[in-house]
Amino acid sequence: MIARGCRLIAIACAAVCVAGCDWMPGRPTQAEMPLRPSAITDFARLYGENCAGCHGVDGKLGPAIALNNPVYLAIVDDAAMHRVIADGTAGTAMPPFAGAQGGNLTDQQIDIVVAGIRKQWSGDKSVGAGAPPYSSNSPGDSNRGGQVYAANCASCHGADGKAGNAGSIADASFLALVSNQNLRTIVIAGRPDFGHPDWKSYSARQALTAQQVSDVVAWIAAKRPASMLSALSAAQH
Amino acid sequence: MAVMQRIKAVGAWLDERLQLGSTIAEVAEHPVPRSSASWWYIFGSATLVVLIMQIVTGICLATVYTPAANGAWESLIYLNYQQPLGWYIRALHGWGSNFMVALMLVHMVQVFLFGAHKYPRELTWVAGIVLLLCTLGMAFTGQVLRFDQDAYWGLGIGASIAGRSPLIGPKIVDLILGGPIIAGETLSRFFALHVFVIPGLLLAFVGLHLFLVLRLGINEWPMPGRIVTREKYRQQYKELVQRDGEPFFPFAAQKDIVFAGLIILSLVVVAAVMGPIGPGGQPDPTIIQTVPRPDFFFLWLFSVFALLPPWTETFLMLVGPPIAIGLLFAVPFLSGTGEKSWRARPFAVVIVTLILLAIGTLTWLGTYSPWSPQMEAWTEAPVPPDYLKGRTPLELQGAILIQYKQCRNCHSLGGQGGMRGPALGDTAARLTRDEIIRQIVQGGGNMPAYGKNLSPAEVNAIVAFLGTMHPANEPPARDSAKPAEPAASQ
Ligand code: HEC
Ligand code: HEC
Ligand code: HEC
Repeated sequence: MIARGCRLIAIACAAVCVAGCDWMPGRPTQAEMPLRPSAITDFARLYGENCAGCHGVDGKLGPAIALNNPVYLAIVDDAAMHRVIADGTAGTAMPPFAGAQGGNLTDQQIDIVVAGIRKQWSGDKSVGAGAPPYSSNSPGDSNRGGQVYAANCASCHGADGKAGNAGSIADASFLALVSNQNLRTIVIAGRPDFGHPDWKSYSARQALTAQQVSDVVAWIAAKRPASMLSALSAAQH
Repeated sequence: MAVMQRIKAVGAWLDERLQLGSTIAEVAEHPVPRSSASWWYIFGSATLVVLIMQIVTGICLATVYTPAANGAWESLIYLNYQQPLGWYIRALHGWGSNFMVALMLVHMVQVFLFGAHKYPRELTWVAGIVLLLCTLGMAFTGQVLRFDQDAYWGLGIGASIAGRSPLIGPKIVDLILGGPIIAGETLSRFFALHVFVIPGLLLAFVGLHLFLVLRLGINEWPMPGRIVTREKYRQQYKELVQRDGEPFFPFAAQKDIVFAGLIILSLVVVAAVMGPIGPGGQPDPTIIQTVPRPDFFFLWLFSVFALLPPWTETFLMLVGPPIAIGLLFAVPFLSGTGEKSWRARPFAVVIVTLILLAIGTLTWLGTYSPWSPQMEAWTEAPVPPDYLKGRTPLELQGAILIQYKQCRNCHSLGGQGGMRGPALGDTAARLTRDEIIRQIVQGGGNMPAYGKNLSPAEVNAIVAFLGTMHPANEPPARDSAKPAEPAASQ
């Protein structure tokens, strides 16, 4: 009985060893190789560890603006993205990631992130055709902006910006926390993940023009209370 | 056939000169009480078998391992990824260590509950405790040899315990680490301990332990009411063996052999499925993102150190271990005679249960260490989309700020994030708006006060977001002092 038991067990052990080798599930794969943080070059990992908390898993459905948005990626260029990621946006919750700014990504890793965002999430490039530019030098006219708002935004955000179904975007606290660029990006690119319209879908008849975008942003920005304004600009310098 | 005869002839020639055969036969066939050939009496031999596996795999690893600060980690990476089956030897050795500690603890509990430590086997127990300490020492030094970020845990704890002893503290730290700080000398020392000093002791005491077991005989199956006395026990045991004895081999040994075989088989499978343990990230004091964590068997200690109030630490670290070890050694001298069966020793059963429960709970706590904030949660742990859908722009800003202000490092949402504070998913069902503001601004109960670090706009945004955190079918908490609002009371 002993002999038979031993032989069975020995055969089982040998079988595990021989059959195993390549497909044994415990075998460490190259991907599991421990790396120092600065040597990580995998986009999914860099994004997951550094950005997913705010911008959402897969670049959408996070509290901060969706990066997985073809319209956004059509208007923004790599240099602008690189700058925001490296230096953060002063006065807002977008933190700097460059080592020199106290972050923990190398310049090369930021490039990998930018390239990865572009490659994975650009989607159908034609949806961004004809979109107003990412930034504009013309200051925008807040009076005309008020009309743009009334025609395109008030239905959801409330007349004169005072709380509609979608909540106010003229709220003093809200405006103290976001940059004008963020407002502009949202107005143009929307938030497809939460169903927010983009520049061409506010009104069925006509898309917003570049001038109208600048105007409505100027109108919203003018609602910032003076005290908040100084706090924000102090933080930005 | 001819070959077999040759071998036999050589064997006979050797035996004529060494005179070993009869000794071995005598040992193998010595009579043991019939009752001790039980499935409860197999853990000691299984521990020994795993020890032998450890020695074999350990020697294999030592042929590749580089015991130098700038080569140790790399040599393990080489084993894991380049050397054919190197990862598997590492897996066998790493899991073998876990198996060995586990089997030894089971063996020890069984011995204690069956009264096998009582007269005349006190020294066998003492040798066993030395083996326990040596084995834990092997597990401890072994994880240091991995020399990854987690290795710092063992080193740090070892050094900080030693460093706290009065007067000689710094000298001992110097002795352990080979200098005031962790460096290449440290690793050489732990290597010497792990491959020469402790294994030497271990083998010597295994020898003593087995010698005593053979000399004193295997403990008979204890029966309640059968009392051990110094005057009569040896005579009784002798009569028992004569009346109801069987040769150890094969009668009792067959169970040991089958069980040891099963243990090896499970080790072989576990190693193949789970793979090698570590190495984790490269050790580098400048990388501060990780909290070093010990291997499984020291997680309970990790918990103890984390949960102790700081002012008790020095005292307990210095006094606790000697007392605990002293008590273990003293067990057979405190209760050396009397009842053997656990059924007649309720106190012993209660003590074992309490110790196992305590260590089990602490280990379980250690596996997820709720007391340490998760330093990466704020950028890494996503906010479940259900908490974001249908929220206003201000509320979304609040959700961003929960991340940006690193609240997530202590608070979880959707099961992700730190666990120092309560999960925030139902805050509004428990606290009113005013209470939430007070908690954030004034802190309290292990939460820092954020009053000075948040602008009024930030507080508004966070409170607006947290105000949405209640299950859809449950209204938000109300201030009981104020009359209920019509909307909330329906
Ligand atoms: C703590 C939250 C947080 C984390 C983490 C974070 N972001 Fe942001 N991010 C924000 C916020 C908030 C904004 C909008 C800031 C503003 O108001 O302009 C933003 C803006 C941006 C923008 C600019 C959008 C525009 O309008 O052009 C980019 C690009 C960006 N983030 C990329 C990243 C990447 C890549 C990472 C990871 C490396 C990251 N962010 C991590 C919060 C975060
Ligand atoms: C169909 C309804 C609807 C219309 C029209 C609409 N919004 Fe929104 N808006 C929302 C909703 C819902 C949210 C909150 C969820 C989100 O961020 O998408 C929102 C959020 C926002 C935000 C904050 C986004 C963020 O993620 O922080 C801004 C800024 C904004 N809207 C600006 C505008 C402007 C400017 C217009 C007009 C040009 C406009 N919206 C038109 C529904 C609308
Ligand atoms: C260092 C860890 C830590 C950090 C960081 C932290 N908290 Fe807390 N928080 C706690 C602990 C611990 C408690 C439990 C306090 C108690 O028991 O009285 C708590 C309690 C709370 C509560 C009450 C929850 C309830 O249901 O009783 C709220 C709300 C809260 N924290 C919000 C925040 C916010 C917002 C932030 C970021 C601005 C934050 N916390 C940051 C540790 C932390």
